[in-house]
Amino acid sequence: MTRGLYGVALISIVLIAIGVATTYFGSRYHLRLVYGAYVNLLVVLGLQVFMGNARITNLSHSAFMGIGAYVAAICVTPETVKAISLPQAPWGLNAFSLDPISSALIAIAITAIIAALIGLIIVRLTAIGATIVSLAVLVIVHSVFLFRTDIFKGNQAFFGIPQVFSLTSIVILSVAVVFIARMFRESKWGVQLRASADDELGAQASGVNIHQVRLIAWILSGILLSIAGIAYAFYLGTISARPFYFNHVFLTLAMLILGGMRTVTGAVLGTLIISFGLESVRWIETGPVVLGIDLPEVLGLSGVVLGAVIVLTMAFRPEGIMGDREVEDLLLKP
Amino acid sequence: MLAVDQLSVFHGPIEAVHGISFNVAAGQCVSLLGPNGAGKTSTISAITGVVRATGRIEVDGEIMSDQPVESRILKGVSVAPEGRRVFANLSVEDNLKLGGAIVQNKANIRSDIAHWLQTFPVLGERRAQLAGTLSGGEQQMLAIARALMSRPKILLLDEPSLGLAPKIVAQIFDIIRHLKNEGMTILLVEQNATQALKLSDYSYLLNNGKIVAEGSAEKLGQSNELMAELTGIA
Repeated sequence: MTRGLYGVALISIVLIAIGVATTYFGSRYHLRLVYGAYVNLLVVLGLQVFMGNARITNLSHSAFMGIGAYVAAICVTPETVKAISLPQAPWGLNAFSLDPISSALIAIAITAIIAALIGLIIVRLTAIGATIVSLAVLVIVHSVFLFRTDIFKGNQAFFGIPQVFSLTSIVILSVAVVFIARMFRESKWGVQLRASADDELGAQASGVNIHQVRLIAWILSGILLSIAGIAYAFYLGTISARPFYFNHVFLTLAMLILGGMRTVTGAVLGTLIISFGLESVRWIETGPVVLGIDLPEVLGLSGVVLGAVIVLTMAFRPEGIMGDREVEDLLLKP
Repeated sequence: MLAVDQLSVFHGPIEAVHGISFNVAAGQCVSLLGPNGAGKTSTISAITGVVRATGRIEVDGEIMSDQPVESRILKGVSVAPEGRRVFANLSVEDNLKLGGAIVQNKANIRSDIAHWLQTFPVLGERRAQLAGTLSGGEQQMLAIARALMSRPKILLLDEPSLGLAPKIVAQIFDIIRHLKNEGMTILLVEQNATQALKLSDYSYLLNNGKIVAEGSAEKLGQSNELMAELTGIA
């Protein structure tokens, strides 16, 4: 635990430093880029809590992020805006609006309830079964977002969400979530969950209630993902169904796999490398002039690179960059 | 201490153990011997509660057969399972912590860990190491220490010598003897009959899911029937 706090402190220093540097020296473009990276950091941390500790691949995380984002958006957007954007909304959804904090709390609560219901099924399945169900959940949730246009507006923008978050708010949030994810990993539940991933029968013989610890991690994961969604909606002011689907699932999965899913440090490292690495790939994609050489335009390069990152990591370092080591393990004696 | 009556164990539709009965008195070491597939591990799993079984299992007069795994551990049943099953990606210390997790409060866990790391100095030297990096013998010691972390009334040891070099097997049996001398009640499952007989107060010979012979070490050790059952050579 003490070592864990030391690790959290080290990661926090890096996260705060990036935030401060961007605030003082960054352009508006940089600000948005870094904010996006921090939203993905929250997603990857949420993913790590379940996937990294239980070692069961989850593909529904972007859906839970979307649920958090939409519920908060529906609650917080003023009636005047909703009267225009959601004229057909059922159950009086366009006839009320709440302050941002209540909206966020409602979004978290609803996501947690949905996560709990789905979790009751997920935790009883084998690893492959759970992954397939999580994929189905992603598709179902996306279909609802896409076709219940009277509530979610589908692929059109859900606009008019008050922009209450700044880079400072998400940096604070990231530090808090790093703390939560790390403390969960070192908690009694976290250790029991990691033990059950190592040896299910051995854990059972030691009295670990595997279903229960998995469910706890799954719900906590859902809560953190909803927070990521809320942070996304509260900054951009507009959301739509598309960002909460396959591309995003794949992007954040690559981040976690590259950094190493077993540790919180791995989740942070993978997110930072891919977020900023991908930005340089996108720049090359546009065919810039480098050292006097006019490079050709390579559309789709970022997708290729992302896929290659997963393939190469799986082939050469399947446990990710960090493996079993948290940041303080690199600096402190055991 | 442990009384098993008419125990049948099922793996899906297959009955692996057919209505066996046996007893372990407090402070005794009793062994279940027999060849591969005799139903030894099935019997252990039924006592810990991880497989479907019928019949009656009592510990200290309390019926265990209808209780879930956790409450059996709470009431004093603990196992070092076959194949050791240590948690490879957790440290030695975390493995031990888990062994005590559902039974003990934090202070007891800390003092018990200290106690067992002292009893098994090899583990003490490797407390922060991942369990997967230990040798087979060290992993077996860890599995036994982990089982002891719940302060059991009866310790079930499932094939502790499996896959270990003879010298290490001797060490493991020394540990079991030490625990027995300290008053621990032990049910030992073994294929290595010679070593197990030497250590046990009483033994049962299992074959094809039935008890085919029982008695003290002296009696069974001289029986040709036993050697035939264990080796397949008449």
